[in-house]
Amino acid sequence: MKKYFVLTVLSLLMTASYAQIDRSKQPKPGPAPEINLKEPARFELSNGLKVLVVENHKLPRVRIQLTIDNPPILQGDKAGVSDLTSSMLGKGSKNIPKDDFYEEVDFLGANIYVGDQSAFASCLSKYFPRILELLADAALNPNFTQEEFEKEKDKILTGIKSEEKDVSAIATRVQTALAYGKNHPYGEITTEETVNNVTLADVEQFYRSYFVPANAYLVVIGDVEFDNVKELVTKYFTPWSKAVPPSFTYSDPTDVQYNQINFVDVPNAVQSEVAVENITNLKMKDPDYLDALLANRILGGGSQARLFKNLREDKGYTYGSYSGLRDNKYSPMRFSAYAQVRNAVTDSSVVQILEEINKMTTEPVSAEELANAKAKYAGSFVMALESPETVANYALNIETEGLSKDFYKTYLERLQSVTAEDVQKAAKKYFSTTNARVVVTGKGSDVLENLEKVSFNGKTVPVLFYDKYANKTEKPNYNAEVPEGIDANTVLEKYIEAIGGKSKLDGVESYSMVAEAEMQGMKLELEMKKTTKDQFMQDVKVMGNSMSKQVLDGDSGYMVVQGQRKDLSAEEIEKIKEESSAFPELNYLAAGNVSLEGIEPVGDSKAYKLKISDGKTAYYDVETGLKVQEINTQEVQGQQMTSTLGYGDYQEVSGIKFPFKITQNMGPQTFEFMVKEIKVNEGVDASDFK
Amino acid sequence: MKKHLLSAFSLLLVGTLVSAQEVAFEEYDLDNGLHVILHQDNSAPVVTVSVMYHVGSKDEDPQKTGFAHFFEHLLFEGTENIARGEWDQITAANGGRNNANTFLDRTYYYEVFPSNSLEVGLWLESERMMHPIIGQVGVDTQKEVVQEERRLRVDNSPYGAFFEQLLKNLYTKHPYRWAVIGSLDHLASATLDDFKKFNKTYYVPNNAVLIVAGDIDSEKTKKMVTDYFGPIPKGADIKRPDIKEDPITQTIYAKYHDPNIQIPAILLAYRTPGQGQRDAYVINMISTYLSDGESSKLYKKLVDEKKMALQVISVPIDAEDYSSYVVGALPVGENSIQDLKKEIDEEILKLQMELISEKDYQKLQNKFENMYVNANSSVEGIANNLAEDYLLKDNTNLINTEIDIYRSITREEIMEVAKKYLKVNQRVELEYLPEQKDAN
Repeated sequence: MKKYFVLTVLSLLMTASYAQIDRSKQPKPGPAPEINLKEPARFELSNGLKVLVVENHKLPRVRIQLTIDNPPILQGDKAGVSDLTSSMLGKGSKNIPKDDFYEEVDFLGANIYVGDQSAFASCLSKYFPRILELLADAALNPNFTQEEFEKEKDKILTGIKSEEKDVSAIATRVQTALAYGKNHPYGEITTEETVNNVTLADVEQFYRSYFVPANAYLVVIGDVEFDNVKELVTKYFTPWSKAVPPSFTYSDPTDVQYNQINFVDVPNAVQSEVAVENITNLKMKDPDYLDALLANRILGGGSQARLFKNLREDKGYTYGSYSGLRDNKYSPMRFSAYAQVRNAVTDSSVVQILEEINKMTTEPVSAEELANAKAKYAGSFVMALESPETVANYALNIETEGLSKDFYKTYLERLQSVTAEDVQKAAKKYFSTTNARVVVTGKGSDVLENLEKVSFNGKTVPVLFYDKYANKTEKPNYNAEVPEGIDANTVLEKYIEAIGGKSKLDGVESYSMVAEAEMQGMKLELEMKKTTKDQFMQDVKVMGNSMSKQVLDGDSGYMVVQGQRKDLSAEEIEKIKEESSAFPELNYLAAGNVSLEGIEPVGDSKAYKLKISDGKTAYYDVETGLKVQEINTQEVQGQQMTSTLGYGDYQEVSGIKFPFKITQNMGPQTFEFMVKEIKVNEGVDASDFK
Repeated sequence: MKKHLLSAFSLLLVGTLVSAQEVAFEEYDLDNGLHVILHQDNSAPVVTVSVMYHVGSKDEDPQKTGFAHFFEHLLFEGTENIARGEWDQITAANGGRNNANTFLDRTYYYEVFPSNSLEVGLWLESERMMHPIIGQVGVDTQKEVVQEERRLRVDNSPYGAFFEQLLKNLYTKHPYRWAVIGSLDHLASATLDDFKKFNKTYYVPNNAVLIVAGDIDSEKTKKMVTDYFGPIPKGADIKRPDIKEDPITQTIYAKYHDPNIQIPAILLAYRTPGQGQRDAYVINMISTYLSDGESSKLYKKLVDEKKMALQVISVPIDAEDYSSYVVGALPVGENSIQDLKKEIDEEILKLQMELISEKDYQKLQNKFENMYVNANSSVEGIANNLAEDYLLKDNTNLINTEIDIYRSITREEIMEVAKKYLKVNQRVELEYLPEQKDAN
């Protein structure tokens, strides 16, 4: 009875004890949490390999990470040798063939990767000994063969080729080459020529020179025991011969003397790549490191940042605009603020980006911006800490970047203590609007005129010219005069004559085409049929299955996209009708509403540019008269989408010349369709358009 | 003697280390019946606060389906102390994220925060349990949202009605027969009182488990849990009718025409034991062996080698009372769905007649171990697993021991279970077809 009473009193007390909190307000977050980072245990092998072991028995898995912290490597006239070396590593070893290697790793449910100055593996802890052995074997006894070398070299050359006209690839290359200089490891350019200079012996030499233990760190993290790791690592990595990598001398990059635009003309560009850059000297151990990170985040660190809000949300110039601040203990680095913008707003975008950078340096950021940037940083910093990789990287950073032992422990506290003044000071130090290099890569004939009028802080920003490989060049000459007597009609007539003549074309009642392209290793098949009676059918198949289909039969039609069928609207029907005539030039000529806009370079030759409609321009070669390119612009969900069709390899079928190679560029994607078959006045049936 | 003892002890230590996967937790009940599970892991300053309510679509009135999922939406609308629309803002301003999901047996809400915002998480979840605002504005708003979700995920989505069609054919009495998203008509005709009643019945502390996992101080957390959740009144006991299905003895043939697709699919569905039972684990292994991922038997045979299928489908639907195993494929080119059925049946028959190879068995074990380990690689994952192990499988410690069940499954058992549950006359054969059009 008494006992019962005591219990009741206790429970009464407990009821009373939870009446104190105030539910009406959000509880205040506590002080920034202290970061409990495991202190790695260490040992060093006699060859210089430093090993960090972080025991974490929470999960029975292990991650192994090898980082070789070499200074940047200048590859010179053999640029590309590091990529080649990387792509040939991790594929078996001298002791175990490639296929057996892959199969064993798969069976164990593990991953192994070896790069030219790194290696990585993850596995269940019970397979740690074997995976470590396989990793060491693949890393230390690589099986470089001529056959693999040729295969990988071809891949790299194909990659370079496919980027030849890629505006983003050109832009990135020129931005880095101009910022660092072409004789700096971060500025040098890998070309077809430099890759062709590389031999198998160079790869072996590169591997021997740089895959060395002098600056190497092996981090093992997870469900392991230190003694066991030490024993196994000693066993498998002691054969790694002691060596120090060769060192280079090159001059540090510097800023330009005054603000300037560096323009790279890419005639096929449908958007401009704009990057405002300057050289910074930021290291992780600098006391204002976090201030600088916050400044960059507020300026251009995502969809909440100023560049995005201004250039995308407010002005609609671009799909996104961001900035990047890089730190490096070996070399001054590039800061850049960038965007991909519509041709027509290239000059305005340059000004807006400069203004935004300037504002960061002249005015303190608002309290709200600062608080949000901190919350985001703190949140993602903290969440990232869960991954064992992060913990490993932090341990490594403390070691390699010369950070204080409590760098990460006090990270959040230091983040919270950053003030708006600190951010402004960092912006002033790391962003420049007096010695900024503005690299614009785009279509000169469209953008240059306005770009030359850009002024900032009351001064005109001079434009200097560079080619696609960052060599200084002359201002391109766009005033290729259209010769006397040439107008839209003569261009169209010349084209019609070139492909076979009007009477031949008039005789075409139907035609069908089958073409193929490759997409990420899958076969893409395009089938198209047209008649002169407003009938049109286009079917795109991926590995034999229809992915998108459009059918028009007179005044009705439908489309099926990934299994979803939908009838075409009247507007869409009109549009397809325009496209669907076998030779639309015959219609243009009859309608007479097409205008000649001038002569522009397309590829290596010159072409007449005809404006067909607001969303469509077509280009006809000045020499041959053949159609070489078509650019279509349309608005999709408020965004300007441009697709470029290139025509080439004209071949004759039934007396008419058809392009047998059609390239399509849309956004980042490029498809190269090779025509397999074209039939004129046969192979088309009324049922094709049902 | 002493030395001997010591080495035995260290041997033991080594033994535990080798099989180590120790997710430490403590669990207890508050006076109001709320079950609390704490998992303290201070290795990263991250904390997950989550509540799993033992209410899912199976608890719905057959005339009012879709309620459980609807509540998942409704309970983000605000509480007496949190204004409408503020839930997400509070989460973001604390550097965290939140979400929720609903299934046949349960509804789950969670927040992930840097650990200094633990109290914010407890406040949010206790507010949701204590006095959510169930008002006309919120109900009307969320009705729109859920209708849109159904259109997006089911009605306009290729193959979106898979789940609904399978359940409908696989179950005749059990409330698993309708899909979680439920009927839009039921939701449209539901009144505010219906919703209030549903809330009062199921959203009570004695029908929920609270998980606090990650960088916490267990004692301080207990105090805060009591402060925030203690004052919530206990609800009435919940009655759950025990509904048993009659066994399927003859193949159920079904067809469904989906207007959103072009390529048909064949789906073979089997009713299998509830998720806590041993045979359910064996079925999971079979599912993985046959059809999960690119190294599975059916994928290799039908997609890689014979190039008959575009894709192989494997949908093990785990649930408390019954699970469902679905295997199927989409044909490529000229192959028919009947051809694919033949091929799948051949492989199932093999499983029933022969032991799988030692190598495949070991690979399967490796695969399960990997999956199991990765499921517990974040506190977010651990919180979810703790909640399900307690609430749906009645054994919180399964988080540490479930892998032992898989390890103990033998090749012979796989064969036996395949024989017992994967019989042709015990299944639903669903031909999932494009909408038919009149020939012209």
